[in-house]
Amino acid sequence: MIELKNDHLVFSFPEIHPEASLEIEFQRTLRIPDDGEDYPLPPGLGNFSIRHVDDHAGCLPQTWLERGGVMLPMYQSEAMWINFSSRQIPGHGAQYPFAVKIAAGKINAVTGAPWTDALRADPQDYLVVPDQPWLDGYCVEKGFIRQFVAMPLGDGYSPEAQITGSEETGGLQVSVYPMKRKAFEKRYPKIDEREYPQMMQETLMFSIQSCESPMALGMGGRMRQKIYEDEFDFSDWDRDTSSRCFVHLANSNTWRAITGKTPPTLPPTAKDYSRRGLPWFEYYSENRAVSGSGVLEGLDSVNTLGKKKRKKPLPENDSANPEKIVKILKKKTPYQVREW
Amino acid sequence: MSTAFGPYIREKREALKKQDKRFSLRKVAQRVGIEPSYLSKVERGLPAPLSEEKIRAISVDLGENADLLLALSGKVSADVQEIIRKRPELFTEIIRQMEDLPDNAVLRLVREVRDGKW
Repeated sequence: MIELKNDHLVFSFPEIHPEASLEIEFQRTLRIPDDGEDYPLPPGLGNFSIRHVDDHAGCLPQTWLERGGVMLPMYQSEAMWINFSSRQIPGHGAQYPFAVKIAAGKINAVTGAPWTDALRADPQDYLVVPDQPWLDGYCVEKGFIRQFVAMPLGDGYSPEAQITGSEETGGLQVSVYPMKRKAFEKRYPKIDEREYPQMMQETLMFSIQSCESPMALGMGGRMRQKIYEDEFDFSDWDRDTSSRCFVHLANSNTWRAITGKTPPTLPPTAKDYSRRGLPWFEYYSENRAVSGSGVLEGLDSVNTLGKKKRKKPLPENDSANPEKIVKILKKKTPYQVREW
Repeated sequence: MSTAFGPYIREKREALKKQDKRFSLRKVAQRVGIEPSYLSKVERGLPAPLSEEKIRAISVDLGENADLLLALSGKVSADVQEIIRKRPELFTEIIRQMEDLPDNAVLRLVREVRDGKW
């Protein structure tokens, strides 16, 4: 069951466990430069508004209605990251674990493979929450991702276009699998929580026509972010139980025509942000990372492809010098966002 | 004020106080913005009405569900009242029909994000 609550997608599996609930939100952020450098994690600048597509059926393309799901507004060349929060289960001192598949344009963000509904263990094509607190882009190499950057669907910048030769899907696709209840209760037996009061605490060291303008997610600058290996047994996942959602990306300039609401203005540039001494983030965990996808590593970023096309798809791409870096130690608290 | 409300919040507050002294009667009352003697009366189930705002403040402070505390105190939250007032016949009928449904059946009535073909 998926609900939309306060701009969060809430995936619940009461038939598995009354507290098996995962919240996903899409965070606005600044676009990191696509300049060959590796950047730390950018901040969260508030979550994107989300709406049911069914609430705006009168002005949406038929394909959107057929796919169902929700929609959110993005400006061209705007970046985003995905924040995962799983509820702390009373009496077990743990958050309920989920396997989460993320794709953009139906290209798996971890492996670069075309979308399938099933979970795959080898190569691992999913994230494990709560070990994986967030996802900022496509996994291109062990420990590195390329940032999700919105580009107009049909302009050919996304991995979907580069891998399949066509770009008709766009958007984001999410599928969530809960851990089997027996596996959860075996791994996290009941405890007296008074003995573990600090268990999960983390340390901070410091117009309607326009409806036909959907967005796809291209690959932006490189960022240091690991996709963590699944440390559970593959058989722990309830692969017969899952919920999935299509997240349509509407061009921000047309969002107002659809919803009557104005999206927030564009975030600052990475250069301006850094110059003001505002913080970037690094996440530390000893968990092993999956190897990057050779498929995605071989693709062109938006900037590189723009040069080949003799176009300038990114309005500005000046290098930044992140000086203030806040280190976040495993584990983040539920619902924590990268902010200062 | 229903008699169930006071003993319920006292039980929850006392349980929290065992781990954290900030949940003494005086400190909770201070954070919620009422006199400790008044909170004491509420907890003992004596006649001492509390506004929805104060009940919500208690729910936040004790980490309890606001709707549950409002119900225990014999109240229905203002936003729910407003929803019912907009379509009274429809919603009162739905609530009556759902009276004996198990929780999992009621949960199926929440608005879900619809999945389609993709």
